[in-house]
Amino acid sequence: MTDFGAAALIVYGVTLALSLAFLLILLWSDVRKELNQFFAAFLMLVLLWNTGALMWQAIDQLRIESPLLTLAIGITELGFTGASVAVYALTAVLVRAHTKRFRVLTFFTLGLIIVYRVILIANSQRFVTSSAYFSTVQRQPIVVAFYLIFDFGALFLLWRNRRKVRSVGIMAGLTLFVIGQTLAFVDTDLDLFQVSFAVSAIASLVLSFSIVAQEIIKPVSEHNSQVEAIRRVGLAITSLASLTSVLEQVARQAAELLKTDGGVTILLSRDGELETAAVYRLPRSFLHLRMPLGEGAAGLAALSQQTNLIDNYELNWKGTEDYPLARQTFGSVVCTPLVYGGQTIGVIMVIGAKHGILFQKEDVYLLELLGAQAAVAISHSQLFSDVEFARRQLETVLISTESPVIAVDRKFHLIFANRTARQLLQQSSDTEENLPNGTPIRDLIPPYALPLSAALALSELRRRGTYTYEATINDRVYLCNIAPLGTPRVTGWVAVMNDVTELKELDRLKSEMVRMTSHDLKNPLQAAMAYTELLRDDLEPAGDQAVLESIDKIDWQLQRMNRIIRGILDLERVKSGVRRFENYPPARAIELSVVELRQFASSQGVQLQVEQDDSLPTIRCDAEQVRRALVNLIENAIKFTPHGGVVSVRAYTQDGSVVFEISDTGVGIAPEARPRVFDRYYRSQQKGTEHITGSGIGLSLVKAVAENHRGKTWLSSEVGKGTTFYISFPVGQVRTSYSQ
Amino acid sequence: MKVMIVDDESAIRETLGKKLKREGYEVILCQDGLESLRAFHSERPDLVILDIVMPEGMDGLTVCRRVREIADTPIMMLSANAVTEEDIIEGLNAGADEYLIKPVRMNEFVARVQAILRRSQKSSSDTGQRYDDGYLSIDLHRRHVHVSGKRLHLTPTEFKLLAVLLENAGRVVSQRDLLEQVWGHEYVNDVYYPRVYISQLRHKIERDAANPIYILTEHRVGYRFEKQGSSSVRSG
Repeated sequence: MTDFGAAALIVYGVTLALSLAFLLILLWSDVRKELNQFFAAFLMLVLLWNTGALMWQAIDQLRIESPLLTLAIGITELGFTGASVAVYALTAVLVRAHTKRFRVLTFFTLGLIIVYRVILIANSQRFVTSSAYFSTVQRQPIVVAFYLIFDFGALFLLWRNRRKVRSVGIMAGLTLFVIGQTLAFVDTDLDLFQVSFAVSAIASLVLSFSIVAQEIIKPVSEHNSQVEAIRRVGLAITSLASLTSVLEQVARQAAELLKTDGGVTILLSRDGELETAAVYRLPRSFLHLRMPLGEGAAGLAALSQQTNLIDNYELNWKGTEDYPLARQTFGSVVCTPLVYGGQTIGVIMVIGAKHGILFQKEDVYLLELLGAQAAVAISHSQLFSDVEFARRQLETVLISTESPVIAVDRKFHLIFANRTARQLLQQSSDTEENLPNGTPIRDLIPPYALPLSAALALSELRRRGTYTYEATINDRVYLCNIAPLGTPRVTGWVAVMNDVTELKELDRLKSEMVRMTSHDLKNPLQAAMAYTELLRDDLEPAGDQAVLESIDKIDWQLQRMNRIIRGILDLERVKSGVRRFENYPPARAIELSVVELRQFASSQGVQLQVEQDDSLPTIRCDAEQVRRALVNLIENAIKFTPHGGVVSVRAYTQDGSVVFEISDTGVGIAPEARPRVFDRYYRSQQKGTEHITGSGIGLSLVKAVAENHRGKTWLSSEVGKGTTFYISFPVGQVRTSYSQ
Repeated sequence: MKVMIVDDESAIRETLGKKLKREGYEVILCQDGLESLRAFHSERPDLVILDIVMPEGMDGLTVCRRVREIADTPIMMLSANAVTEEDIIEGLNAGADEYLIKPVRMNEFVARVQAILRRSQKSSSDTGQRYDDGYLSIDLHRRHVHVSGKRLHLTPTEFKLLAVLLENAGRVVSQRDLLEQVWGHEYVNDVYYPRVYISQLRHKIERDAANPIYILTEHRVGYRFEKQGSSSVRSG
């Protein structure tokens, strides 16, 4: 008995116990994991072999002769041989260099070995001492080759994929195990055989511990630090303002979080294609490459909203290449969709180089955590930049406009004033100060430039959404248009002030011009008409019909000229005249208009029919303007109605308005002329109307009157049968007494 | 009957004058404001026909006011530059009895001249009704109106208007009736005449023209003269 034998006994015992413990831990943690299954198979074979070795060593140590020795040797050999296959399988799974049928193949091989070994045990000689065994045992080349193939196969795989294995313990354990197993073939000397067993046993312990540490202990212990890392990454991303830097930071943080070679941030553009928006440690040429949704590893992740983990891009990814030369250069790849509010907005893609790092489930988990935060950060940044862009655009428009723009909040405190508005306010309030936002508007604008009645302005704003009034500030006239800010709840008001000083002046000049012209034209006209009449008086006794007819024609033309001038003046009056609104009965308007035209109608041989209805509600209007409009419409109807025709006038209510209807049995209006009849100076060139004189102003005056009263004009006509004109005015406000 | 025509345009002066002469009127022609005032003093016409816009010196409105300061002679404005109702009312407020817009047809012109002269003639031969409440006294026969004992100058149209209202005291006189009775049937559509003259009358006879007690407006119908009992009249 040697001391080594005793030490070996302890090693086997400890290995046995620990292997059993590891196996239990493993089964408890997760049996479904592939690595765990292979590891369990390995552990069971280690258990088997150590059990055998322990028995064998114990029998040796006790120096007893027992038939159990044969069984012990058999179990040992079975476990030891099996372990060499298992270690290869384990390595393959660890570096993920295995195919789908690999598991079946491995377990089949193991099964084969076990059966072979059991047959060997059953048919072998019965040894009662180790020495007897060692004297008989022959190292067949096939057995040696078997060991070498699997052991060195495992070692080769490990070397080839050394960057994929992050644990030093696993590397050391595997290497030591291979060395240990190889030792057995160096010499058949008993001691070295025992040393080989012992080294292998220790190696398997180291390996087991490393695997358990990596698979079970490390994830648990690192969980907190990972969360911390994610939090830091999240902070780094979300603290950035510009979208570009957020995208770059996401790519960078994802790559650094997973300790890998490169990262990409891809965004889903509005047209539904994926576009590479930022790259980290990858060629810049990847930037702005586009890929349809659903194509490429990233596209699949974006479409399915599921993380796409690829161990080996060349072998496992059959779809479209995400980037040029991806198959040649990419190793392991993880694509995590960026999902915000149920919508995919992009993908984070983290790439390991060929033979580089191999991503684990934990990496996926980490990346998904990062992805969730990145999605929020990117979306917010996008929204922010959209809003910011719109705001800048608006601000530029407002600032560059020459019209003063002022916005106030609900308390009438200044919240915005563009450059011209600030200049205006500084001049009007005589301050050199900078006019800080929040100043009450009453302190900035003189009271005469504010709406006369705030209550009226507010009620108009509520009803119509805008309120317009004229204000004079520093000798300039502004048309202030106020509109509410914010929907649906009003958060303030904005006023756009249009400088209409020049327009007002132009308007005044135009009116002046019209007055002057009319005066200058009317005096000669008066004289010409008077001379014509005097001439007629003089010549009438002589009775020369031809001369009298000529004089009548001159007179007719002068009358025509007079009507044209009157039309221009009437239109001018309606457009610029002061409006005096009163509640006016429609029947009265008809009555007065008809009185004015009765004589004209009878001189034209046209019958004027009036349907009076005194029960109609009053209209709020400038009575003079309404009468002018009706006179024009009726006069027009009479003119276009042939001798013996009828013009009828009536009024009725319809949808809150009073509609005046003037219909004739005249020539009608051709369809192509209808849209233009209300235009100024438009005269229809219709057949049968050549003899009718007019200025082409009457109907445009009618339209102007309707517009002044928020009313409408329209017509219906049939050529040869007649025309009906309509003009409507809103019913006047009914005053109710609240004192009852 | 003497009619004075004031217009800076000789063609208009001549034609209007010729027409009126043919109708049997005596005609005085003036070409500017100052000349017309001088002629008014020397000739004392029965009717003045005034153009408003006259480039030399005094315009028609001023002439009208000057004439009103010294006489109740009827005045007819004949203007080309009336664009709005305000222009017409301004002319009437200056004291004109009539406002015609150029160009006017000769026949209508003559009819209006006849109407205005008829009005001034007729008003002096009215019924001899009298009214006196201590504050306001009216003698239709003598054409005297006193307020607080002071004699008032009323134009023929103002007087005629007051007379019609007084004759119908306590009853509403419609606008239409007023127009017909005071101005003549040619005027029924000139709805702003009563408005202007009522306002002028109120300024002359009421204590407070904004709160009249004699001439009351019946909204949308017409006007009513209300007699005041002498007990309700305070002196002063």
